[in-house]
Amino acid sequence: MKNIVRNITAALVSVICLGSCSQEFLDEVKPTTGVPVESIYESRTTAEGAMAGILRRFRGQFENAAGVASTDVGGLNSMFYARSLKGNDVISSNNWYGSDYENNNREPTYRRTTFTWDYPFFMINQVNNFIKQVKASTKIVEDDKNELLGQGYALRAFFYHQLVLEFSKSYNEDQNYPAPPIYKEPTVVPKGMSTVKEVYDFMVEDLTTAIPLLSEDRLGKSFVNKEVANAILAQVYQVMGKWDLAEAAAIEAYGGNVTSVLDAGGYGSGFKDNASVEWLWGSPQRPDQSNYYYLAPHAFSDHRSPGYYSAYVNSTFVSLFSATDVRGGVGPTKLFNKKSATLPSTDYRYYVSNKFSFTFSSHSPIIRYAEMILIDAEAKARQGNNGGAKTVLFALQKNRDANAVQSSNTGQALIDEILVERRKELFLENGIEWFDAKRLGKGMPRDGNQRLKGPNAGVTYDLQAHDLRFMLKVPQSEIDANPFIDNTVNNGK
Amino acid sequence: MRLKFKWIFTLLMLALSMQFSFAQEKNIKGVVTDDSGPIPGVNVVVKGTKVSTQTDFNGVYSIQAKAGDVLVFSFMGMNDSAVTVGASNSVNAKLTSASQSLDEVVVVAYGKQKTKSIVGSVATVGKDILEKQQATNVLTAIQGSVAGVNIISAGGQPGESPTIRIRGIGSISSSAEPLIILDGAPFSGNINSISADQIESMSVLKDASSTALYGSRGANGVIIITTKRGKFNTPTTVHLNSVVGVGSNAVKLHKLLSTDRLTELSWEAVRNVNQYGRGQAPALAGQNASNSLVSALGYNPYKATVPVDANGKLVTTDKYWDTDWEKALINNSAIRKENSIAISGGGENAAFSFSANNLNQEGALVNSNFKRTSVRISADTKINESLTAGLSVGYTTSTQNFPTQSGNSYQSPIQWIYNVSSIYPLYQHDDQGNEMFDNLGRKIYDYGAGDGDLNAVRPMMGNENALGALYNYTVRNNRDDITINGYAGYKITKDLSFKTTIGYQRYMLDNFNYSSSLYGNAAGVNGRITQNRDITTSINITNVLSYKKQFGNHTIGIDGIQEAYKFKLDRMYAQGEGFLPGVEVNDGATNPTGVGGTVTEERLNSYLGRATYNYANRYFLEGSYRTDGSSRFARDSRWGNFFSVGGAWSIKDESFLVDSKVISTLKLKGSYGELGNNRALNADGTDSYFPYQQLYNLGWSEMDYPGVSLGAPADKKLTWEKTASSNIGIELGFFNDRFKAGADWYQKKSIDLIYAIPVAGSTGNTTYLTNAGSLKNYGLEVYLSSVNVKNTNFTWTTDLNFSFDRNEVTSLTQDYIINGSKRWEVGKSIYDFWIQEWAGVDSATGKGQWYKDGVDTNGNRNTTFNYSEASRNYVGKSSLPDVVGGLSNYFKYKNFDMNILFNFSYGAYVYDSSYASLMTGLKDPGRPGSADLENRWQQPGDITDVPRLYQSTQDYASQSTRFLFKNNYIRLKALNIGYNFPKDVMNSIGVNNIRIYLQGDNLLTFQSHKGIDPEQSFAGTTNSRTYNQRLASLGFSIDF
Repeated sequence: MKNIVRNITAALVSVICLGSCSQEFLDEVKPTTGVPVESIYESRTTAEGAMAGILRRFRGQFENAAGVASTDVGGLNSMFYARSLKGNDVISSNNWYGSDYENNNREPTYRRTTFTWDYPFFMINQVNNFIKQVKASTKIVEDDKNELLGQGYALRAFFYHQLVLEFSKSYNEDQNYPAPPIYKEPTVVPKGMSTVKEVYDFMVEDLTTAIPLLSEDRLGKSFVNKEVANAILAQVYQVMGKWDLAEAAAIEAYGGNVTSVLDAGGYGSGFKDNASVEWLWGSPQRPDQSNYYYLAPHAFSDHRSPGYYSAYVNSTFVSLFSATDVRGGVGPTKLFNKKSATLPSTDYRYYVSNKFSFTFSSHSPIIRYAEMILIDAEAKARQGNNGGAKTVLFALQKNRDANAVQSSNTGQALIDEILVERRKELFLENGIEWFDAKRLGKGMPRDGNQRLKGPNAGVTYDLQAHDLRFMLKVPQSEIDANPFIDNTVNNGK
Repeated sequence: MRLKFKWIFTLLMLALSMQFSFAQEKNIKGVVTDDSGPIPGVNVVVKGTKVSTQTDFNGVYSIQAKAGDVLVFSFMGMNDSAVTVGASNSVNAKLTSASQSLDEVVVVAYGKQKTKSIVGSVATVGKDILEKQQATNVLTAIQGSVAGVNIISAGGQPGESPTIRIRGIGSISSSAEPLIILDGAPFSGNINSISADQIESMSVLKDASSTALYGSRGANGVIIITTKRGKFNTPTTVHLNSVVGVGSNAVKLHKLLSTDRLTELSWEAVRNVNQYGRGQAPALAGQNASNSLVSALGYNPYKATVPVDANGKLVTTDKYWDTDWEKALINNSAIRKENSIAISGGGENAAFSFSANNLNQEGALVNSNFKRTSVRISADTKINESLTAGLSVGYTTSTQNFPTQSGNSYQSPIQWIYNVSSIYPLYQHDDQGNEMFDNLGRKIYDYGAGDGDLNAVRPMMGNENALGALYNYTVRNNRDDITINGYAGYKITKDLSFKTTIGYQRYMLDNFNYSSSLYGNAAGVNGRITQNRDITTSINITNVLSYKKQFGNHTIGIDGIQEAYKFKLDRMYAQGEGFLPGVEVNDGATNPTGVGGTVTEERLNSYLGRATYNYANRYFLEGSYRTDGSSRFARDSRWGNFFSVGGAWSIKDESFLVDSKVISTLKLKGSYGELGNNRALNADGTDSYFPYQQLYNLGWSEMDYPGVSLGAPADKKLTWEKTASSNIGIELGFFNDRFKAGADWYQKKSIDLIYAIPVAGSTGNTTYLTNAGSLKNYGLEVYLSSVNVKNTNFTWTTDLNFSFDRNEVTSLTQDYIINGSKRWEVGKSIYDFWIQEWAGVDSATGKGQWYKDGVDTNGNRNTTFNYSEASRNYVGKSSLPDVVGGLSNYFKYKNFDMNILFNFSYGAYVYDSSYASLMTGLKDPGRPGSADLENRWQQPGDITDVPRLYQSTQDYASQSTRFLFKNNYIRLKALNIGYNFPKDVMNSIGVNNIRIYLQGDNLLTFQSHKGIDPEQSFAGTTNSRTYNQRLASLGFSIDF
């Protein structure tokens, strides 16, 4: 009996002890794969960790709602490259991005459409959280808060600009056209469509708020500073046609001294390093932070390193360059090369580009100073300042080509020359042809040795002025999950 | 082999003939009875002779025999009885019922129960079933043998766990897998570390009363695996088993166009674009197609520069190569070898068992394999009258070459076969078509990313070669799994006992990935190695205080249980780049590119109780209760209470039936309970240990700046899913349970589903994890079993089980949720397809059409050529089968036996996206086409269901009912034919038994939609998965 009592007591004691310890027993475990939201905003340094994470998402695989990532939809660079393929200067074989090249990749269920919607909104939500938490932080001092918030506002505007460009008619075509919803705060409750004008007003507000908050300092070339914010603003004003403001913002961005931000000697070194003085803003990579084969345009356009070999160059575009232009020329060490000795010049594979050199640690440009210089030139020309425009334009041309001769064009001819210069300068980088055609309401006729041109099933492969195919349709997944957007949003698109 | 047989038979005959001679024959008389009295019609045979008779109406028999002879009494539904004739002339026999229902014991939650006293729904897969299958992963053996369990096997990689759903699908975003318990502790390794021959039984617990004690983890059912142990007071036995077989794909792949036809049809696809799209005159369109064909393909296997003429005909069929990717990638002569030994026995105070198993199995892909060695030892002791203790230790080490088995990565072989045509060579060829060699004279895999404009750049899967990937890359999983389960039991008083059980498991997964330094996707950085090492440690402690008391007809039992569970996952990985050829270890890296690791813990603390009562073994009542605290939820919402009540009534034991000769079993039972599920998952299907927290995830550094990225929003108040489960069952037996039948009706209502509800992408997230919505699963399970024939020489039994399972959404937080090809709304199943409807091919243009909402003036449904206008609708088809089940037949004739198990599924639909990718109308150059493309539209007026070929962006193969197929099948899952050498002969050479057998798994499959394995996924979607293997083996076993 003694034994029995002893045993029961022992059993009870152990049960009771385990019971009383249980709350601590369960509380002891904590997540280790991440950090609680609040603790990230306890200092400027940790908040910069959140900013670094946002910038990291400029590149890399992006999973759809089903957890699937695809080669042609990952990061900002894939959006830029898809735009590049819609124009006349680049040719694509039938490979990844093949439907973008066909100007067909815009239906509500297509992954281009879903990605181009979900990805910028993903970034905007990250930024909205960042802004909210920085504002709410009691530990970060005011000056630091301002610099952090400035970066947040500028990035939010940048991604709204991408969205409105892709999903709506151009600002100059229809300011009341439905545009993607505006979110100023993080939420899981969706909103209805806005208008083009509302989005542009919002972007201008964000950017003009950001610029005074920012300084010229930053942690690296992928971070936003005052210059970058001005550059984004210059692009926005350029689309809006506010030329005096565009000129001022562009000059703020590049500093007004053309030659100090150009390096003709480095133009041929492969566009893979954001340390170049020419780069205002660019995403870096390194072997342990690589986008691997997702990196557009490098992995697709570089025919010297194993990749997709899917991008070729239109012969009419190659012929725009003089032999002494650092951006042109044909040969193994030049910016263009022939794919092989045997292909006829009518074959779409005749020319390839050597501009982007593909490795797993190649960087990708977002904005280069040259674009700001050309916005400055265009803005001056649009305001009738032909002389000023020509001076700025020629400073760039002369840097690129020692034999360049200053333009004698004025008015529209000068503007057209600047637009051509933009294509020559920014080839394959950010879909410059598409951007210009979209904002100016022009078409993009296809000629030369294009693989696909002319009629296609009742329309044409090339885009006409104000072509609806300048827009993507709103994704079905958004329509399905957003009670404020229904199928009619795609009517007439 | 045949010679050996002859030898054995000669020996046999000799032995038989020697038995004659001696002793006097006499007339033996007797009565054969069972519990209820004499039995008429019992077979009585003098063993080893043809002398036999039957009992008369009074159970009396008489037969000629002599002293020393053995009389064998047999009767259907009863156990055979053998009695040796002695000096007496009277031999009476008492037969016992073959039905084990009376005393058979079943493993249930935290203990064992007699079958008769079970108030819930528990099914057992015993070693008799396991022995007749080659279940490399033991869970596959449940398929077809247990009603109400729906299983989808995992494909062609040996040992992978199937997907299991017990009684429908009660969870959406969280794990719907059953909880697996091994020898009393939750199993946290890979189930493929347990070899089937080490298992005594698997109990499948289906209803609330049987699973309630697993509380927060029991909602989706529980599978309890019990390993073999020695038995007290049994002689030591040794069992050796060896089986060798060969495997191949169980079903054929989709039939593809030949290279010649594909080339011609590719021309047609380009010509159609030129003619109908670009408006070229037919002749010019054809000429242009001929000219552009090779440049679009990038390769030209033909010995002609322009292989197809302007009329679409090949100018030559002479080729430099003609690749059969399927033949290159699929192993249709995969060898499987398994050897095992088991020794067990026990004395008065100790019992032991030891078993070891070695398996070496090749998979469905040419270099996939699975090699496993497992050892298990158990010991049980009676230390004194009241103290018992035991230990079992299992150790398994396995290695598998595990190339990509499914999905859309470039290395996915089935996707490769369906996306890279025979036009592309296995090995490199120069632009003249000649084969190329490396400096050692070996062929070089063609990676499709070469230099040049012909035979160099493949338009798909660039810089990869599926066969090269299998041989130049390595994907290896090494696993080590140690489980230690110990217990000590103490009998405090006659009625009160205490038992403590500790389960410890340490599981290491070493996942090694090597990409070649010379070829393929990492050649640019001279190779890459990524090595992941995950160590999982779990400890489970259970303390049970049991009280059991019988007074008069009343029996009560009470169990009080406390349980604590600790789980730790320690992950580490290292990645390096830049290796010399042939160096495949991270030490050789010139550039260490990555390192990472986390330690994640999970805990569960629980208090449980169970009370049972029965009156005269006629009325049974049972109640259980569990309270659980889980670290997966926030402090305020982590405790949950779960319970069940159940009862059973053995009507057979009522006075009006107890004497019935016809009805041998009649039992009604019912149960109700509420259970939980805490196993929230991440989007990629891995466990989410802290689903209630929104975190900034580590690992998003920007160059030198450490970066974090905000994860998906989470609901801080997230808590258990709860399932209310009801069960009503009947068990019937006739003629001493010769015929048995049973049926269970169940209903499971799951509320507060842990569900990642879709949110609009414009909010920056596409999902939000919360408790939302509810589901109902209900169904009927039926089993029938019959001893059709049973006499001395011949036995035939049949078992049939099937179930009807239905699923219904009962509430949602929004009107509907669209999830891929399904739309969930109240009243519908989560498996009802909701997709675009194919309206066939327009005979004037050859274009595909889809239905859109509305009707025209004639009342016909509107159609459109524009896919984005097609409306999505419920199409009245579900991926959930109407009925699934299994049918097994067992035959025994003398020493031969045969077991045939079929499993079947009827009424489900599958969306075959592999087939869709073959039916695009050759939209993309160089991709293969189904042979069905021969039926394409060719000219205005053609009536066909296959649209025109068109090599440009189009939607003919976009998601629609065009690729939704009926998916009925019957599969010969297991066939086992064996011969047992005669016992008496074997005994004379000191052997208990020798058996040789043929074992076939998945030998035959009859299916309504061919080209894919019928077992794909519960959602009825396909994923380019490797095909299940068919195995045919020869086995040999010997018992000492």
